[in-house]
Amino acid sequence: MVKGHPRRVPLFPSLMVLALVVMLVRAVAAVEMLGDITVEPTMVKGSPTAPVTIVEFSDYQ
Amino acid sequence: MLKEYPGRVRLIFKDLPLASHALARPAHEAARCAGALGRYWPYHDKLFANQPSFERADLVRYAGEVGLSRERFTACLDARRFAAEVEADVEQARAIGVRGTPTFVINGRVVAGALPVEDFRTLIDEALKDKP
Repeated sequence: MVKGHPRRVPLFPSLMVLALVVMLVRAVAAVEMLGDITVEPTMVKGSPTAPVTIVEFSDYQ
Repeated sequence: MLKEYPGRVRLIFKDLPLASHALARPAHEAARCAGALGRYWPYHDKLFANQPSFERADLVRYAGEVGLSRERFTACLDARRFAAEVEADVEQARAIGVRGTPTFVINGRVVAGALPVEDFRTLIDEALKDKP
């Protein structure tokens, strides 16, 4: 290696991996699960840290 | 209940349109469309307040009444954009043995049927004792 010229790490593959990790983390965070029950964020009321969670299965009609 | 137990209770609504209720499924899909457009709970409350008037024209009118764009809402409803999500809720209910409505799962404890408020308080207080 020539002094004064540090080895370059290819930037493009690193960014691709980083983007993939971010996408996976976001996907996991977007789908909350409560046991076998999925949680749609728009259909939730109350604090996410509440000690009591009530899941209501209901029929509008 | 949420107002009575601020910060201590969270409510998660799940769709369970019964097969015997022909207009229920479109209503549940409509509520999810409202949710996608940012007005889930007002629309949800509107549906409960107007049971069982859930013809298509009613669903579109309610959307307008809660401040949604009728065009965007109608496009979502007619495309049945959330049919799969509603069906997924029905399948999840089946998987955990829920058959009727309303059914509540309070910190994992399944409670079937519409309960008096006092019974809810008791169940919530018991759950809070377990997880103070």
